[in-house]
Amino acid sequence: MDTPLELTLEELRERIQAAGVTIPDHRLGMVRKLLSDALVHVRALDSRTIKTVEPAVTFVPAGGARHE
Amino acid sequence: MSDAIAYATIRELGARYRTRELSPVEVTRALLARIEKLDPVLHAFVTLTADRALADARAAEEALRRGDARPLLGVPIAHKDIYLTKGIRTTGGSALLADWVPDQESTCGRRWQEAGTVLLGKLITHEFAMGLQFPGHRFLPARNPWNVAHIPGGSSSGSGAALAAGLVHGATGSDTGGSIRGPAAFCGIVGLKPTYGRSSRAGVLTLSWTLDHTGPMARTVEDCALLLQPLAGHDPLDPASSRAPVDDYAASLGRDVRGVRIGVVRNYFFEGIDPEVERAFEEAMATLRRLGADVRDVTIPSLAATHSFLLILLAEAYAYHERDLRAHPELYGDVLRERFLAGALVTGAEYVQAQRIRSQICDETAAALVGVDVLATPTTPRPATPFAQAHDPDFGFPRSNMPPFNITGSPTLALPCGFSSSGLPISLQLAGRPFEEGTVLRVGHAYEQATPWHTRRPPV
Repeated sequence: MDTPLELTLEELRERIQAAGVTIPDHRLGMVRKLLSDALVHVRALDSRTIKTVEPAVTFVPAGGARHE
Repeated sequence: MSDAIAYATIRELGARYRTRELSPVEVTRALLARIEKLDPVLHAFVTLTADRALADARAAEEALRRGDARPLLGVPIAHKDIYLTKGIRTTGGSALLADWVPDQESTCGRRWQEAGTVLLGKLITHEFAMGLQFPGHRFLPARNPWNVAHIPGGSSSGSGAALAAGLVHGATGSDTGGSIRGPAAFCGIVGLKPTYGRSSRAGVLTLSWTLDHTGPMARTVEDCALLLQPLAGHDPLDPASSRAPVDDYAASLGRDVRGVRIGVVRNYFFEGIDPEVERAFEEAMATLRRLGADVRDVTIPSLAATHSFLLILLAEAYAYHERDLRAHPELYGDVLRERFLAGALVTGAEYVQAQRIRSQICDETAAALVGVDVLATPTTPRPATPFAQAHDPDFGFPRSNMPPFNITGSPTLALPCGFSSSGLPISLQLAGRPFEEGTVLRVGHAYEQATPWHTRRPPV
């Protein structure tokens, strides 16, 4: 089943519980809107059709790594 | 003190210092008096450093007597209060750090100090560069000199207000989703977000590691160029700092814009735009055409997904603040606390997908900047927001024209391009290829010199 684009209040409460943080009830609407708006395009993303863009790590001979 | 001194350009100040018409001590004393008079209403400063300012000014006078010709010598500046200042409190606009006195200096602060500037103090910032101070907060929010019932923009709110009111001649800002350009737009001044990695973030409080930029704010494009010069260049203390060569930014301003290709990004940036802003923007494009620029339309389709950048910002901000949020939640401002906590609710997969979307936007923007030299958009779709609206917790994070260039790390300039019928400033945004600050400054300067907007003063 496709994930709904909008974050439901029930899903928000599950996430809050899983994260172990406390958000008062009177701020749940604000947080839900904040995350829902930010998530819309991520939830609409189809990883199989999007041009492959990978979070890459490159290593240099001198040591150390860079995320690019 | 005359407005002519309060609003003098950096070049004018330097010229008058060198002919002994003015002295840095005289200007510093005058600005301290102006701050004392105007800041009780504007709340731009959170800490005034009068003794330090006068000591800096005396040192500048000595240097001038020796024939020192550095362009920033004796120029009064102030720092956004997320820039660490050794021995001077750095609050981050927060109750959590209200009395914190760092034992280190930001790289930007050190570089401006070495350039001979005069430090007048620290400027209020939205809490931790993100949260507007709501009523009851430990600190008062800065007010917009053009209309004190409106916000000056944020998060570099004090920087924008202080420059517009003629309290300083330059200020630092930081920009994670528009925090240099927003206050520049709302306050009718100039702000430059340099390329990611061009200006060091070392010694600056973090909001989001992969989106944070530092940069200068001023009243003219030339002032911005002069203030950027010492900030630009590699800093080993900032892991993202670039070793790309540094241009002579003031020299780049001398060239006209004939033949420069300017791409107006027709998608995304005009959604929900105020008709007065749209008209001012189109008139700005007509002006640039008259100056000889080749103005054409472009599209960057992936910008539709810009708002996913907030997942990156929230997750990174939560990572930075998690310990303090868990230990001292009561010391975070109302509303900001819950916004930061929202970062704990972003899954790892969502963060990665947001970064993949970011890569797409970077690729498409780079492709657009093959066919044109500079991208042009309105900086904000509307003029400054009233406090009454901004203080509604549900006001949230409206879609903005500025985050696309935090996503891409592009050098981006905001400068005045008109005024609304209610007297509030309107702003033009110019973005260029990575490390081509000189090109956006050149186009901005040519536009500025052909228009009167930068000469208007607020009714303070």
